[in-house]
Amino acid sequence: MPRPGILRDWFLIRRDLPQSRALLLTAVSFLMPLALWCVVSYVPWIWHPDVRIEISAEREGVTTVFTAGDHVSKGFFPEFVRAVRDENAAVTKARSEGTAVTGARRKNQKILRQIAPVAVGNGWIDYRDTQNDAALYQTWRDLATGAKVSSEPRLTEENLGIIRANWAALSALSPEFVFRKLPDEPLLKLVPQGRPANPVYLPEPDDVLRTGFRDFTASAPEGELTMLQRYGASLRVIFLGFFWACLIGIPLGILCGVFDFFSKLIEPFVDFFRYMPAPTFSTLLVAVLLAGEAPKVALVFIGTVFQMVLVISKTTRLLDPSLLEAAQTLGAKPRQLLKSVVIPGILPNLYNDLRILLGWAWTWLVIAELIGVKSGLTEFIETQGRFRNFDRVFPVIILIGVTGFVMDQVLSWLHGLLFPWSGKSSALSRSIAAAFTWPFRTGARAIRNRLAAVEAARIAATREPSP
Amino acid sequence: MSTLELPSYLDQTPEVAARFSRLRERPVALEVRGLTKRFETPRGVVTALDDVSFSVHKRELMCVIGPSGCGKSTLVRILAGLETPTSGEVLVGGTAVSGPGPDCGMVFQGYTLFPWLSVKENVMFGPKMAGKSSFTAESEAREWIDLVGLSRFENAYPHQLSGGMKQRVAIARALANQPRVLFMDEPFGALDAQTRCNMQSYLLEIWKNVDITIVFITHDLDEAVYLSDRILVLDANPGRVREIVEVPVPRPRSESQLFDPSFMATRKHIDELMHPPGQEQKDTPVMRLAVSNPDVV
Repeated sequence: MPRPGILRDWFLIRRDLPQSRALLLTAVSFLMPLALWCVVSYVPWIWHPDVRIEISAEREGVTTVFTAGDHVSKGFFPEFVRAVRDENAAVTKARSEGTAVTGARRKNQKILRQIAPVAVGNGWIDYRDTQNDAALYQTWRDLATGAKVSSEPRLTEENLGIIRANWAALSALSPEFVFRKLPDEPLLKLVPQGRPANPVYLPEPDDVLRTGFRDFTASAPEGELTMLQRYGASLRVIFLGFFWACLIGIPLGILCGVFDFFSKLIEPFVDFFRYMPAPTFSTLLVAVLLAGEAPKVALVFIGTVFQMVLVISKTTRLLDPSLLEAAQTLGAKPRQLLKSVVIPGILPNLYNDLRILLGWAWTWLVIAELIGVKSGLTEFIETQGRFRNFDRVFPVIILIGVTGFVMDQVLSWLHGLLFPWSGKSSALSRSIAAAFTWPFRTGARAIRNRLAAVEAARIAATREPSP
Repeated sequence: MSTLELPSYLDQTPEVAARFSRLRERPVALEVRGLTKRFETPRGVVTALDDVSFSVHKRELMCVIGPSGCGKSTLVRILAGLETPTSGEVLVGGTAVSGPGPDCGMVFQGYTLFPWLSVKENVMFGPKMAGKSSFTAESEAREWIDLVGLSRFENAYPHQLSGGMKQRVAIARALANQPRVLFMDEPFGALDAQTRCNMQSYLLEIWKNVDITIVFITHDLDEAVYLSDRILVLDANPGRVREIVEVPVPRPRSESQLFDPSFMATRKHIDELMHPPGQEQKDTPVMRLAVSNPDVV
């Protein structure tokens, strides 16, 4: 029986797919988890065990206070709503019986502020302005008169009724917010509103996107860093640590790979040392290098350099020994062997090793930023994670992932560009490399030609007198 | 074969005999005295080479042939200074070889071109190591590349070349150093039959134009007879000099000589030296499979 088309086209044992299909699958591999996240977030009947509060209310004699954005369980929310309705009913009843309590201005101010999440959600006020009573007072007016209609969240008829009733009481006393002119009798409370939501640790994609954008564009509070500055600090720690590791690790690795002397002298200890986890040195590093950036860089360094020595010495040993023999039969001395054969010969593999080790360095970053004085992106993750603001944590985690991934992809693409002789570069990257290096090559050729002309003239001059 | 009347391989025409007497008068380029190489292995000491002595005259092309495992490669590696003998010595141009150096060029079976250098830069490698300026090295390299007919590819990288082209670059690279002796360790072993044939003619052409002494290791009888002035036949286990055969085929050689009586006689003689009659296939059991008759009417 012939295999069905889909099996023939997509499932081939040890055979590469055509490029268009490979590209499609690459896209799908990213879209699949994203789609899963969207489905779980936006299709209400799949999970959604919580209710996210959009309008909250404080209850009399209950100390637990929920604010907009908080999650409560699906079972508890109706109870919450009923309790607030009961309180409103009591207020209305007292008012009609003429037994309403007085001295409720402070409470009424709080009730006015119930509208704040609505004003923020619709973009009428800034999210830092939730206690700007004057602006909120206008919001009550606008909603009551119908000058503004809330779409985010959509207000229930019940709440609109409450708004109109309250505004009637408010506007009778003052068109503007003046604390002393707030009603003395209690206003009605807005009834809590909410919508089904997933637990707080799984924010919705659009939420993550919005908060991420907000966090990264916001200017920082006094004495704190903006997100981009934090990002810069994190990159600095990584690159400084990795730079120092390269400075020490590459020469040592090559020496170990070339000379058995260094291999036997250094590698056994390095091999032992790398089993001691780098984070265990954190307190020691802080004691020695003091709080600040230095111990963090040192941690990335320690986490990377020992692996680097071993990996590079192995790479060096893998160089085809017959190339060394060939060079020797061509008259290369030991120093020339090192410079003209070993180093250029291992460069492409060395480059790939460094790429992988840079990935390792990223894993040390988070730990490095937690030691001493917390810093960088990790400090932000730590703080916000503690407040359960996972919608602010996710963008940072994703940013770290994207940075590492993009950097690796760029470096991998550069491999073909830097080492055209290894035969792995595509025509496109070769032509870009050619265009990019053209000025340098032309310059070098001009200098070479110049030197050649000088030397040719010199040779001609030495020959002339002889005949 | 046996019905064919072949002359003795010792019969030389007067011209060939005169050539050999001239060759013997030339100075000795390479002298090997009592070369012995033993390896320590877990199963005891193995003697790879036992008291090998011979000499190669200037501008001679000598092939070393022998059954596999007779120590051909060990021999050539010692000659080039890449390994040290247990005893005995190698003299190149009268001075003892103590390690690899520019006096002893080497062409390996595995090409061993530097992949990060272009064809031209590969050929420039030796002169640059000798301290020549880039300008001199480059103009010299161009001549050698021209000689092996690869001028069009001087800026190509090794991975872009075919096997035969790579080996031509390797030859040019070794020659650019102007070594006293050029050792070639089964250089054409990895090439297909057609390319190998072309390369043999190429090598003879180059050898005709360049003042160079060549020691050529091979296990291919036809190759040995076609190329050599003299053929050194090695015995296996331990490697000893069985005989040094003067090839009576006149020069210049061409492929049409493959069926000359002198060629065939030499070939037959060396074949018998390597596989003494009555001993062939002794240790290779042949398994016969019971197969059904093929479906051929």
